[in-house]
Amino acid sequence: MSDSPLRLPPKPKPSPWTVGLSLGMVVFTVVCARTVGFSFSGLVEDLGRTNPVAQGLVDISWGEMFSERSRRAFLETLQMAVIGTTAGAVVSLPIALWSTEVGNPYLIPRVLLRSFNNVVRAIPDLLWAGLFVLGVGIGALPGVLALFFFSMAVIVKLTADTLDGIDMGPIEAAKASGASHTQMLRTAVVPQILPAYSSYVLYDFELNLRASAVLGLVGAGGIGQRIDFFRGRGDWSKLWGLVLMFFLVVVVVEWLSVKIRRRLV
Amino acid sequence: MSSISTGAPVQLPSKPRDTFKLVVTTAFVVLFGWSAISVDLKWSRLLDAPADMYRLFKAMYSDIPWEELDRLAGLMWDSIAMAWVGTIMAAIFAVPLSFLAAENLVGRPIAWVTRQVFNVLRAVPEVILALLFVPMFGLTPMAGVLAIAVGSIGSLGKLFYEIIENIDSGPIEATDAVGAGRLQRLRWGVIPQVAPELTSFLLYRFEINIRASSVLGIVGAGGIGGVLADTVRFKEYGVAGLALIVVIVGTIIVDTISGAIRRRIVAGRTIDIGEAQMYAVDTGGLS
Amino acid sequence: MIRFDKASVTYPGGVVAMKDLDLEIGDGEFVVIVGLSGAGKSTLIRAINGLVPLTSGGLDVNGHDVPNLSAKGRRQLRAEVGMIFQGFNLVDRTTVLNNVLMGRLPRVPLWRTLIGKYPDEDIQIAAKALDRVEILDRAYVRATNLSGGQRQRVGIARALAQEPKIVLADEPVASLDPPTSHVVMKYLQQISRDLGITTIVNLHFLDLATAYADRIIGLRNGELVFDGPGSEADEHTFRDIYGRSLTADDTMAKQAAL
Ligand SMILES: Nc1ncnc2c1ncn2[C@@H]1O[C@H](COP(=O)(O)OP(=O)(O)OP(=O)(O)O)[C@@H](O)[C@H]1O
Ligand SMILES: [Mg+2]
Repeated sequence: MSDSPLRLPPKPKPSPWTVGLSLGMVVFTVVCARTVGFSFSGLVEDLGRTNPVAQGLVDISWGEMFSERSRRAFLETLQMAVIGTTAGAVVSLPIALWSTEVGNPYLIPRVLLRSFNNVVRAIPDLLWAGLFVLGVGIGALPGVLALFFFSMAVIVKLTADTLDGIDMGPIEAAKASGASHTQMLRTAVVPQILPAYSSYVLYDFELNLRASAVLGLVGAGGIGQRIDFFRGRGDWSKLWGLVLMFFLVVVVVEWLSVKIRRRLV
Repeated sequence: MSSISTGAPVQLPSKPRDTFKLVVTTAFVVLFGWSAISVDLKWSRLLDAPADMYRLFKAMYSDIPWEELDRLAGLMWDSIAMAWVGTIMAAIFAVPLSFLAAENLVGRPIAWVTRQVFNVLRAVPEVILALLFVPMFGLTPMAGVLAIAVGSIGSLGKLFYEIIENIDSGPIEATDAVGAGRLQRLRWGVIPQVAPELTSFLLYRFEINIRASSVLGIVGAGGIGGVLADTVRFKEYGVAGLALIVVIVGTIIVDTISGAIRRRIVAGRTIDIGEAQMYAVDTGGLS
Repeated sequence: MIRFDKASVTYPGGVVAMKDLDLEIGDGEFVVIVGLSGAGKSTLIRAINGLVPLTSGGLDVNGHDVPNLSAKGRRQLRAEVGMIFQGFNLVDRTTVLNNVLMGRLPRVPLWRTLIGKYPDEDIQIAAKALDRVEILDRAYVRATNLSGGQRQRVGIARALAQEPKIVLADEPVASLDPPTSHVVMKYLQQISRDLGITTIVNLHFLDLATAYADRIIGLRNGELVFDGPGSEADEHTFRDIYGRSLTADDTMAKQAAL
């Protein structure tokens, strides 16, 4: 045995990639914070001041939660979400199929379809609504159209990702038994993704319900229009009443939807 | 030679009833029928919509005011910065809160209450939060940042507490049971392991938040959304059209970079961080 | 009748998986193909229904000129040829009956496939196919809820529902335990005899091959090295085919005993 001290193997250094990424994120955070004029003391100061919004929460208007007009606005929100989701779901299944390799052997149409969907996905719900309000005027119609495109973006993306990982065995079997391409898709592919697809549709419905509450801010119908109305008048207690009611609706729908989704997959 | 189709007919077993499917389908048909009939919407207007949209498209893109590009790009940058700062703030708040939501650290009642807080925060759209924050913090990007931050605490908190709860069932040998022992293990045993997934989820949430922050300006909370609201009000279709392009391009650029980093981070890793992974399905910035 | 005429397959990348093969398989024969892994067994089987294209030579299957078929002609050929897979290739999420009805697709109009309403005659044929493999009582069970042997029987029923003249089976028992393997092989043999279906099976285990084959075909590096009745094949023949002496790996009985 020698007397020389035991030497540990050198401690592994973090990879340059890890160091670079961490540094990059810190720098990016600092730059962004300066851009938005982040100030912690200002924040605390603002919070300390009394303000009409907080006061409105204290005097929350319980009556507004159940008033006739809010009820109608809520129903409209629900209807818009149902129609927008359904329409979006119907077109999403074939589009998702055609934008993946299993469903569409032709590279160029596939890439075009995927790019189109990326563009659709980059436009937020409220912008879709704004566009359609400009185009077709205010009301529930632009809201439904906005939710239609928004749904398409969500469902196509999720379904296409699922399609990329399906079992190819049944596809081979369908081909070997002489099925046409469409028949193969219907019998070997769709059954595999149907549970996931249905669960995405429900998930999208939750998103749409939440989104359709704000579409009214740009004139696209639903409860948002009423929220905007009270915002304009500075009537925060009624606005809080609406927000609370909206929250209850969302919670109930989400609870139901999660229950159903659990059973689907 | 006989064939499979000859011979006496055989009797299939009776078809089982799928009540669940039947109930869900019926409920859906009723709901859809009721919506389609009673919604206050002239379906005939739908037929004019393509022509209307084409007219709008022409109004927006027949004469693009390129001189506005610098200003619009700057505002889009504001939106991106708002989204990032909001995401980071949310993470900072979500970490301590998530300790209070982990059933293996605090008791069930406290965990339950904290989780409900997360659920409340997740349920309210950022735009609503922003319009409540604007009177409190003024017509500044800070109102937007806070709306984003508060809106993201719920989903980040959920991810964090699921990771913490997974420690007990995880591969790490459970020697000491309570308190400091657990927290230390979290710090030294778990965080380093799940750091890539955490970072990846943070970036993913950032992509989602860009979509939110680019519209918050509509209620005066800063960023490019404000331009869209103004131009619509003053019928400056050209600016609105250009702003739309800026939003799309900006969002896709950020998606692409962030997505590439995310893929690189989690490449080849399959550490189980619980249900949270399912929750983190790539909705591509929509949640 | 199936006739290979100087048929060759070279895969992209240069692997020659079939070399100048001349082979004739008559109607109603029960043929087992043996050979080492990589010998070209799957390639031969898949060439018959056009899943693998020949790079040269000719192949005639019941009058179909396989190398020169149009897309439609290829579908017609495949409709007459049933196929059974090692991994069963069932759609797990749907019922056994729906899986078997897949065999009826070429005869069913597209719109019926789309809404999932098959004509009664086709359902009856599927039911009879299931009855043949004695699994009719599970018709409305989801395929996931079956054991491996049952799943392969569904695979056989799906092929049968095509009312095929030829059945191809690529290692149909490789994922099954020995007793179940025998059950599946017996069904294949019985069906071939009763219905006069030409059956071509790839097998890994030699004892299974000799037990069930009317005729054994040995492949080595894409070439035919043995062709004779199952009764004629003995240890020496297999040593020729395998190019080495046999080990416990090569027979199911011995392997099961390990
Ligand atoms: N799609 C392909 N592309 C390239 N080479 C292939 C392809 N399929 C098979 N090969 C090669 O062709 C040769 C014959 O393959 P084949 O699958 O027919 O053998 P096999 O006898 O069925 O073997 P196994 O017992 O392993 O299934 C092998 O060397 C294989 O690597
Ligand atoms: Mg093989």
